[in-house]
Amino acid sequence: MIAAETNKEYDFSAPRKQSASGIIIMFANSFQHIVRALALPLILIIVKSKDSGNLALILIVFLSLLTIVLALYAYFSYQKFTFFLDEKKQEFIINSGIFSKTSLTIQLNKIQQVNINQNLLQQVVGVYSLEIDTAGSEKKEASIKAIDHATATILKQKLLSRDLAENETTNIHADDQLIKSAPPLLKLSTNTLLKIGITTNYGASLLLLTGFIFGAFQLFKDYTDALDIEREQFTKMFSQGITIFSLCFLVAFSFIIILATNIIRTFIKYFNFKIIKQKGALAVSSGLFTHKNVLLTPNKVQLSAYSQNYFQKKFDLLNMKIKQASFDSADKEDSKKSDIEIPGCNEFERDEVLKMILSNIPAKGAELAPNYRFIFLQTMIWIVFPVSVFALLSIYALPQLKSYLLMVIPYIIVVGIMLYFEFKRHRLYVDEQFIIKRSGIWDVEQEIIEPHKIQAITAKQYFWHKAADVGHLIIHTAAGVIHFKYGNYTHIKNLVNYWTYKIEVSKKDWM
Amino acid sequence: MQEFTNETLDTSSLPKYQEVQLNSLSRKYWNVILINIFLFLLFVAIAIAALLIFSTDARSYTLAILAIYGVLALLLVLLYRTSLKKRGFAVREKDILYTSGIIALSTTIVPFSRIQHIALDEGLFSRIYGLGELRIFTAGGSSGSLHIPGIEIDNAKSIKELLMKQINEAD
Repeated sequence: MIAAETNKEYDFSAPRKQSASGIIIMFANSFQHIVRALALPLILIIVKSKDSGNLALILIVFLSLLTIVLALYAYFSYQKFTFFLDEKKQEFIINSGIFSKTSLTIQLNKIQQVNINQNLLQQVVGVYSLEIDTAGSEKKEASIKAIDHATATILKQKLLSRDLAENETTNIHADDQLIKSAPPLLKLSTNTLLKIGITTNYGASLLLLTGFIFGAFQLFKDYTDALDIEREQFTKMFSQGITIFSLCFLVAFSFIIILATNIIRTFIKYFNFKIIKQKGALAVSSGLFTHKNVLLTPNKVQLSAYSQNYFQKKFDLLNMKIKQASFDSADKEDSKKSDIEIPGCNEFERDEVLKMILSNIPAKGAELAPNYRFIFLQTMIWIVFPVSVFALLSIYALPQLKSYLLMVIPYIIVVGIMLYFEFKRHRLYVDEQFIIKRSGIWDVEQEIIEPHKIQAITAKQYFWHKAADVGHLIIHTAAGVIHFKYGNYTHIKNLVNYWTYKIEVSKKDWM
Repeated sequence: MQEFTNETLDTSSLPKYQEVQLNSLSRKYWNVILINIFLFLLFVAIAIAALLIFSTDARSYTLAILAIYGVLALLLVLLYRTSLKKRGFAVREKDILYTSGIIALSTTIVPFSRIQHIALDEGLFSRIYGLGELRIFTAGGSSGSLHIPGIEIDNAKSIKELLMKQINEAD
């Protein structure tokens, strides 16, 4: 181990600078930024102006001035960038900034990952960058841009010295062998997959299909253009051909296609979907072509949710989503990987999974309903405003719209019904152990969190709601935000106090 | 359901965040805000001047443009003034809370045990007046973190020190 040779060379207790070649890295970085920002206007100026002789001179002077300024900036940035390790307090501190200074302090036991990387330029100069990541959804919290390899390795060791063993167990990839041995807790049959395909994700498939149709039309157009074919014939055929019958046929046809794509997509994604209990964790695996394995550790779970629409209810199907705290948070793709979606399960299986994660089945506690103002504002935004704009336009500006004015009535009815359901389903259920938020118009979703998973709480009130005692509640968790709107503010304030109390009294960590 | 009625009784005796005496931001922070507003307005003024010089069409609207500019300037100053008065923070035994907002007054509470890391920023103008901005991060992402500007630098440093100590004890 290199740690044995901790001599003065690798003493991090005093503030130290980066490798001197860091100046080059900093200069290159800021130069790149500036060039990217200035490239377009510069090109415009060059193209627009006519007398090129003067311009070239001005440009050269400008660029050399810029280089000097940036070099100075890089030099001073380097001078001001210091980092050190406070071993007594177990803190790592980075100070930076010329004009506005920043001092960043990270507790060693909050550090999840330390990465040592090298990009092309760093390779040329012969330095590495060291990035520190703590839990949560923000990007890399701190990074040192230029550090030599030996220092970086030792610093990494020191930063992670406290519990390397624990980090080892948090590996999210499941062991393949274990998956094969135990009998699964939940397994999706072909039948269930078919049901899932029929009942869910219309939106995504519709989007896919429209994309495809547009693409096909474009292709058709290009083709006729290219071959100089009389397009009139085609259009004539189209306009004559669209009768009620063919329209019905078209609708039915596209419906079938949507269903088919839905089913195929479901099969590709969730073929052989299995959940297996193993040593206090859940191993999830699925996929037709690419096999995906995720290990679910109950205390890492931040938020569990399940949803159901009208059709799914008829089939006794539920969709579940389980969100874990992610460590590879800098990478969006990776953090998605640790979220788990169970596309279809029945109520019994849902309860089994929830019991596994939350140790008992969450009961719905006291119900909180939003104030009628919830629907009032939504009506303003979605009905009153667009309808009046449309009416005004058709009366004053575009008289040809008048014939469509009747279309407003079905719009109001449909949107009105949707808003009503949204209002009726917006609920918060609170009991001692769980907070459940229900929401949705078509897919009704229930999000479940435990109070000790809360990171921060916000209570918010618009000043015109003061007299009505109406306000909003925002619960921040490591897996996203839960927003309850237009609640009784006195009640919300009580809940905030209660949850703060619970978090602060509880010995339970959030992961 | 019965459990909850018990809890509602309990909550009345819990410490209430809404009754906490908030520390307002430093008065000197108003100067920093004024400098920032001034710089912004200066920038806009230069843009307007350029417009009036280069475009003869715009010149006929000079009065209207100036009037709008004046109203904008006044509004900015007034809005920031009220927003400053509404802002405040408090450090309790086990958490830190921050209140802000003009049309919507919001209070965010971050328990010490959920703080991930802390940064202390000293902006250029803030430094002139000896002020700093505390940024407190949680795993809840950008929405779940606190940014408290306009704290006297010594005070900010001691709060940071205190928070770091509390985080240590919490573990």
